[in-house]
Amino acid sequence: MSTEEEENAAELKIPDEFLKAKCLMNCEVALILEHKYEQLQQMADDPMNQMSQVFEKSLQYVKRFSRYKNPDAVRQVREILSRYQLAEFELCVLGNLCPETVEEAKHMVPSIKTRGRAHDDEAIEKMLNDLSLIKKFE
Amino acid sequence: MFLKTQLSWNVLVPAENIDAEGLMLQKAILIRLLDEFATKKAFKDLGYFMAVTTLDHIGEGLVRQHSGDLLFPVDFSCITFKMFPGELLEGVVHKILKHGMFLRCGPAEKVYISHHKMAGYQYVPGENPSFMNDKSSKIEKGTRVRCTVIAERYDEAERDFRVLVSLEGDYLGPVS
Repeated sequence: MSTEEEENAAELKIPDEFLKAKCLMNCEVALILEHKYEQLQQMADDPMNQMSQVFEKSLQYVKRFSRYKNPDAVRQVREILSRYQLAEFELCVLGNLCPETVEEAKHMVPSIKTRGRAHDDEAIEKMLNDLSLIKKFE
Repeated sequence: MFLKTQLSWNVLVPAENIDAEGLMLQKAILIRLLDEFATKKAFKDLGYFMAVTTLDHIGEGLVRQHSGDLLFPVDFSCITFKMFPGELLEGVVHKILKHGMFLRCGPAEKVYISHHKMAGYQYVPGENPSFMNDKSSKIEKGTRVRCTVIAERYDEAERDFRVLVSLEGDYLGPVS
């Protein structure tokens, strides 16, 4: 238990294997699952039967919690965020929760200030502005 | 958080599903893999199994001595969902009780907030019970809530996760 107690995602203290794993934003998962769902519909007469409960619940969840719906917008969000030397995990937290202010962003991803990255408030502000532009033009 | 993971499993193809044509065999392997993937549901270290995205490699099959079934090692990529302590998460309230409430976050339904972890909110009984605070921010069934994960535990028997979350902290609480 001792190692588990030290886990803290806010400070990016998660097991190594997950730190390196590719994380996905809700909107990306929504695109993949919807595509998968369409495939299932074409293959089987009764798609609901072919789907696991996990799949079904998750599809509902990501549809509701996706900030971006358009596939191009989703791609752009990842591209913009990946310019800021963020860890995969941090990138997805920001993409999922879409903070509006610099303070909020720093609060959501406290690790953004550590790990030797010189992110001043201006850089974060620019990142948030870019993201809100995508949302506007979607 | 949703994660993209690569896994290596062994897939067992029953002898009666084996056909002379190679294409059918590949299909049989894929179907068995998808089946197994769906029934496994969740795993302690990896979280919930959501969907297989690609089948990357099928290894050499082994014939089982007595049954004649074939065992294939396969590598595939999939999406999993895992909640980490400290992670910020959004969920939908689906049950309100006197002493707390349950949220739904992705495939997880047993995501619990105790009333001790939502300072300022008071339980309001009624046909449609809710939690209110003095700034009249209201949480009822169907409300979207942003919270932080305190701890998670895996229930081996049900293959399900139980998660404790909290509303205490800045920028947490109901979201529109």
